[in-house]
Amino acid sequence: MATAAVVVDAQPIAPEQVSLWSDAWRRLRRNRLALVATIFLTFLVVVALVSLVWTPYRMSEIGVTQTYAPPSSAHLLGADELGRDLLSRLMVGAQVSLVVGVGTQLLVLAVGVPIGLLAGYYRGWLDSVVSFIINVFYGIPDILVAMIMVFLLGPSLRNIIIAIVVTRWMDMARLVRGQAFSLREREFIEAARAAGARPLKMLFGHLFPNALGPIIVQATLGIPAAILFEAFLSFLGVGVQPPTPSWGSMANEGVAAIQYAPHMVIAPSIALSLTLMAFNFLGDGLRDALDPRSRR
Amino acid sequence: MFTKGTLIYIAQRLVLIGFTVVAVSSVVFVGIHRLPGDALLSERLRGQAYQLLVHHYGLDQPLIVQYWNFAVGVITRGDLGESLVNRGLKITPLVLHELGVSAEVGGLALVFTIGLGLVLGVFAAVRQNTWLDYVLTTTSVVGYSMPNFVIAAFLILVFGVWLQNVTGGTFFYQLGGWRGDFGQLWLPAFALGFPYASIVARLTRASMLEVIRQDYIRTARAKGLRERVIIVRHALRNALIPVITILAPLVIGIITGSVVIENFFGIPGLGKEFAQSILNRDYAIVIGVFTMYAAMVGLANLLVDLAYVVIDPRIRY
Repeated sequence: MATAAVVVDAQPIAPEQVSLWSDAWRRLRRNRLALVATIFLTFLVVVALVSLVWTPYRMSEIGVTQTYAPPSSAHLLGADELGRDLLSRLMVGAQVSLVVGVGTQLLVLAVGVPIGLLAGYYRGWLDSVVSFIINVFYGIPDILVAMIMVFLLGPSLRNIIIAIVVTRWMDMARLVRGQAFSLREREFIEAARAAGARPLKMLFGHLFPNALGPIIVQATLGIPAAILFEAFLSFLGVGVQPPTPSWGSMANEGVAAIQYAPHMVIAPSIALSLTLMAFNFLGDGLRDALDPRSRR
Repeated sequence: MFTKGTLIYIAQRLVLIGFTVVAVSSVVFVGIHRLPGDALLSERLRGQAYQLLVHHYGLDQPLIVQYWNFAVGVITRGDLGESLVNRGLKITPLVLHELGVSAEVGGLALVFTIGLGLVLGVFAAVRQNTWLDYVLTTTSVVGYSMPNFVIAAFLILVFGVWLQNVTGGTFFYQLGGWRGDFGQLWLPAFALGFPYASIVARLTRASMLEVIRQDYIRTARAKGLRERVIIVRHALRNALIPVITILAPLVIGIITGSVVIENFFGIPGLGKEFAQSILNRDYAIVIGVFTMYAAMVGLANLLVDLAYVVIDPRIRY
């Protein structure tokens, strides 16, 4: 009996240790909206991948059915003004949106994180210069500058991504700067400094991992902003050029035919709205999961 | 209210705005003139006629001289030059007229944004964790996830196409011409303002929830004030301060959003001019309108910052 009692005492009394990430994952899974959003986005990625190799019809083939044909069993979403299959074009459009959204955020990370870390950690004149530049960029109207940039560089997917990064990098830089600003006063950074950590190790080995939560949230919420941006540009005719379909330019073509072929505007509009919504719900969910205190 | 320090601050900001406008328009000016060819190549003119035109617009002078002439014209006479496509059309009066049209649409959009946002936000906060709150909070994410042209398309589809018999389908301004009355204004203004109204609603709800738990609200309740007085006069007034912080991005968002909405509805404003002149490659107008926009955004930022001083006496510059 005595031995048994010892065994029982050996059981840990404190709750099981959970890391920040698995804790966040558990909270995210409980958030039903974020979960549905994740499922939808997975589906979207699959659609975009499938459309690389297969679409119901060739996406730029003209006259596969009547022009302005309403949805039917052969063409689930109908056809556009040139008789192209809308579903095929919508599927290819998903590629454009995802490439723009994810591509810009990767570049924004590459630009904004180092700048923010440097400014926030070293402060002084470097921080003043960076803050001034950030404020100047906040003072210029982003979409208008992007329009002019695409106009100057020539409309292509690459140039659109560059234009969005140039006009939106400072969101990330400002966030990371703020994080570095507060983290640098914490004990573990002081310990690292006392242990003689080199600057690169300090910035990317100690500061960056501890600011990762807010950075992930910011990047996730930046994706829909970038997709929206591209849709605006394409809607105005300065975005992705035909025959490549973009949801924005498809909506623009649909508006012209809104009286007799409303399906042309409805399909890309719903696709765009659902995608933006999913990214926003996922971003909100991640924020709640990674930082429970900020819960609204 | 405006101390000497505030005045100095305003002066500094004005200098900074001037600096930004000059910098931004210079970049655009140089960028555009570095493009291969010139705007007049498309005219299919040859020989002397072409030379005369090039000379008329001063395009045969060195870039630096062209820029100097442009800058002097803007600063001394407020003259933004002449359209390259519609020859002889002066840009300054055109742009000023269009600014008026855009201001009407944008102003009404701002009224929608703030009015709708505040009302929905307060309702959601007062009824926290009821079905009304959930519906309003979810709608607000839906609201700011929808591009304004999508909202506009659905509004037109409902009111202009499906309900054509009721409304007369008068939302297609391209057909009827622009009159600028409320009947034509409300739809584009709503589409322009709604996404931002969602953001205002979210923020109002959050800051109301914070304020409502404060001691002075409990004091107001203890005094026996009516709930409506407590919410409107005591809580909302203080909940407004964080909302004002997003006014600047809001105004800028409405200015940039108007480019899309004006093109959508065919409203003859600054935004339509901007997109059209880019598509027409009318460089002179692109530079002119863009300079105008840069100045407007700068001034909007400044005005919002000054609004803090008026609303919250604790803020001083």
